[in-house]
Amino acid sequence: MRSGIIPVMLMFVFASSLWAQTADTVMTGTLDEVVVSGSYKKMEVLNTVQQVEVVEEPFLREHFTGNLTQTLGHIPGVHSMDIGAGFSKPMIRGMGFNRISVVQNGIKQEGQQWGADHGLEIDAFSVGRVTVRKGPSSLLYGSDAMGGTIEIERLPAPIDDQWLGEVNLLGKSVNNTLGASLMLGLKRKAWFTTLRYSEQHFGDYHIPTDTVVYLTQRLPIEKQSLKNTAGFERDANWDLDYRKGRYYGNLSVSDAYQKVGFFAGAHGIPDAEILHDDGDSRNIDLPYSWVNHLKVTSHHQYGFGRLFGYLDLGFQNNHREEWSYFHTHYGTQIPPEKDPNKELQFSLNTYSASLKVKRFCSNNWEYTVGLDLQYQKNTIDGYSFLLPEYDRFTSGVLWLSKWKASDKLSLSGGLRYDYGHLDISAFKDVYLEQYLTDQHYGADVLEDYEWRSYAVERDFGDVSGSIGCVWNPTKSQLVKVNVGRSFRLPGANELASNGMHHGTFRHEQGDASLSTEKGWQMDLSYTYVHKGICFIFSPFGSWFNNYIYLKPTGEWSILPHTGQIYRYSQAEVTFIGAEAEFSVDFLRYLNYKIAGEYVHSRNREEQLPLPFSPPASMRNTLTWKAKKFKVFAQWQAVMAQDEVSRNEETTPGHNLWNMGASANVPLFKTKVELTLSAQNLLNEKYYNHLSFYRKMEIPEPGRNFQLLIKVPFKSSIK
Amino acid sequence: MKTNIKFSILCLMAVSFSMFTSCGDDDDEKSDTTKPVIALDEPAEGDSLKIGAPIHFEMDLSDNEKLKSYKVDIHNNFDGHNHALKAATSTEAFTYNHSWDVSGLKNTHIHHHEIVIPENATPGKYHLMVYCTDEAGNETFIARNIVLSNDVEADHHED
Repeated sequence: MRSGIIPVMLMFVFASSLWAQTADTVMTGTLDEVVVSGSYKKMEVLNTVQQVEVVEEPFLREHFTGNLTQTLGHIPGVHSMDIGAGFSKPMIRGMGFNRISVVQNGIKQEGQQWGADHGLEIDAFSVGRVTVRKGPSSLLYGSDAMGGTIEIERLPAPIDDQWLGEVNLLGKSVNNTLGASLMLGLKRKAWFTTLRYSEQHFGDYHIPTDTVVYLTQRLPIEKQSLKNTAGFERDANWDLDYRKGRYYGNLSVSDAYQKVGFFAGAHGIPDAEILHDDGDSRNIDLPYSWVNHLKVTSHHQYGFGRLFGYLDLGFQNNHREEWSYFHTHYGTQIPPEKDPNKELQFSLNTYSASLKVKRFCSNNWEYTVGLDLQYQKNTIDGYSFLLPEYDRFTSGVLWLSKWKASDKLSLSGGLRYDYGHLDISAFKDVYLEQYLTDQHYGADVLEDYEWRSYAVERDFGDVSGSIGCVWNPTKSQLVKVNVGRSFRLPGANELASNGMHHGTFRHEQGDASLSTEKGWQMDLSYTYVHKGICFIFSPFGSWFNNYIYLKPTGEWSILPHTGQIYRYSQAEVTFIGAEAEFSVDFLRYLNYKIAGEYVHSRNREEQLPLPFSPPASMRNTLTWKAKKFKVFAQWQAVMAQDEVSRNEETTPGHNLWNMGASANVPLFKTKVELTLSAQNLLNEKYYNHLSFYRKMEIPEPGRNFQLLIKVPFKSSIK
Repeated sequence: MKTNIKFSILCLMAVSFSMFTSCGDDDDEKSDTTKPVIALDEPAEGDSLKIGAPIHFEMDLSDNEKLKSYKVDIHNNFDGHNHALKAATSTEAFTYNHSWDVSGLKNTHIHHHEIVIPENATPGKYHLMVYCTDEAGNETFIARNIVLSNDVEADHHED
């Protein structure tokens, strides 16, 4: 009988455990004796054919920075693209922006991933566990998860009835951060609820230099403090769980607000005069941006015999504004009467729904069918323009299956079809029209430039799929192979924009005829764990025949402050790279770990790398660990990035020294966790190739000392 | 078990090695990413230029391969407070945007007086930017702060 099933399964067999929450279903628990000690982390690693990294305590605490993306940047293959000290967006294996997805409570976080100066709006204090899925994941999450996903969860409910809570205090020297977070929770019978409120305030951050040289002009950095980079963050989260019998439900409401100033030089040509110290390192002056992300999600699951049903619903509103003096853009025009300095406003509403049914056919075979729906509406305002208004509807049907061929081998695979409809509105820039009219340009030039976006309506459909296996030939080894096809819908900016991007100072032009980005990706991973030795090697490669990139056209734009026009085009692109990790325990209390990563991308049409390619890097960490104490010293070496795209600057390499210590101090029946860390101990002046401020030759933050105090408490209920 | 480990490692090494070498081949045909170089002599940083007179424009352009074109962009850098808004004044903010073809040349000396500041230009702070591209699409630019004024002498150069 078996021989008949195998070919069929091989055709459809499928990928990765559905979403994180499902791993707690009992029936997946029959895995090998192997390295599985039953912990969630190992379970997830064993269950997924892709290379996954699961981080939770103490990793999240030891690498805490108040900014989740920066914390995740410590995982090999993951990078943080920073905009100063406040906003950051994640990158996985050289793919960022909307080529990766962030998923919380089973719902894709929809902010403004496409923009260069937008971050990820999630309260770092509220995160209990993060699963990073490296490589193609559009099978699971649709279009944008092409390069990988970051799945964020809070910690699961305790078993016993109790009151519980937590106080977190954070202090950082580099920008005088003061942060605090308070969580209160109650577990009683079937109910579990938590409420968290967090706040962080920070001042201008320090950089180890007195001047920056930009556009051949020497600009003063008074007091080595980068003017107007102060900001604050305010977040609230409420969660409610109900678990009874075979039903589990969760309702989650969260709101994240951030307001951060921009270094004045980041908007226009920096002028030495506006960079004088204003005597206040904590004020947020123009230009600045603020963003609010409201999210309501609800998850339901129910088991009927061997059948499990999952329903996820979500609503999100991402509202972002940028404020900058009107006259710095159109100095000779009369500003608008209402909100004269509101440069940009976006309000993105996203409605998501997902229904999945999982069936366990036998102890070694399960499959899932599902339907995902998402509707988005983006509206804009402000005197400037960055992204058009649009409506976007996407839906996907998927089929996933997993088959345990033996105790040592399991196969997974799946297929998915997505349909997308995008309706982009045209936008005429009246200020630009006025400006060009004043310059006496003719009607033909006006027609080419005054439309900042064109009306475009497109339908897309595409297939994604993957097949892979997890093989643990011996107790100490694990081999994974996965091949996947994934895709991404072109974004509204890539299809319809026209004009100067206010962050890059390039005239960028969309192309309404772009097709979906499609790629084949393959990853392998080998893990060896035995007696205090751990070795992981995970190479990958991918091929896209129509990767979207900005191509310089050689045609001059007539817009002030811009050079040639860059047009979104498609080209054959390949990626290749690997992460490697080796760690060894020795002399009872010591551990040495080396982790490195490398990614190489190539645009085959231009014979050049893609922009924002992370440089190769390596971290050497020596840790001393006793019962209640832990001390580590780290040497981080980042290679120079000479592999750059056309008109992108190379970035020199650097070495950083970091240290940290943590201790558990018993106090009033609880254990207070103290974590002290120091980054960039030698106050090295270095540049991050992925940073928004890189092109202005602004170095990264200097030496930083940080203290995190965590006080958990609980009280049982009889 | 020992052989098993060795075998697995060997397989992975072989696969990754072939991946790396296969992509190493194309590094030779990597295209030109060297930007052209602009050495702008005139106007100099902070120069005051006479309204109603031509600009003495002088620079050297060079590239490792072949230049393509250069563009001069002049726009105001008014701070918006001290200058009367457009509606209330008889002068006009000066804006200039023009490009020249230098294609095929490896380096060239540019010297001309083609850019004329009109009589009705509003005095004040301006930016002068020079952009230059080569045939591969590499682009470089340079920015200068200049002041347009009625109270300076027109630039009579020595030569």
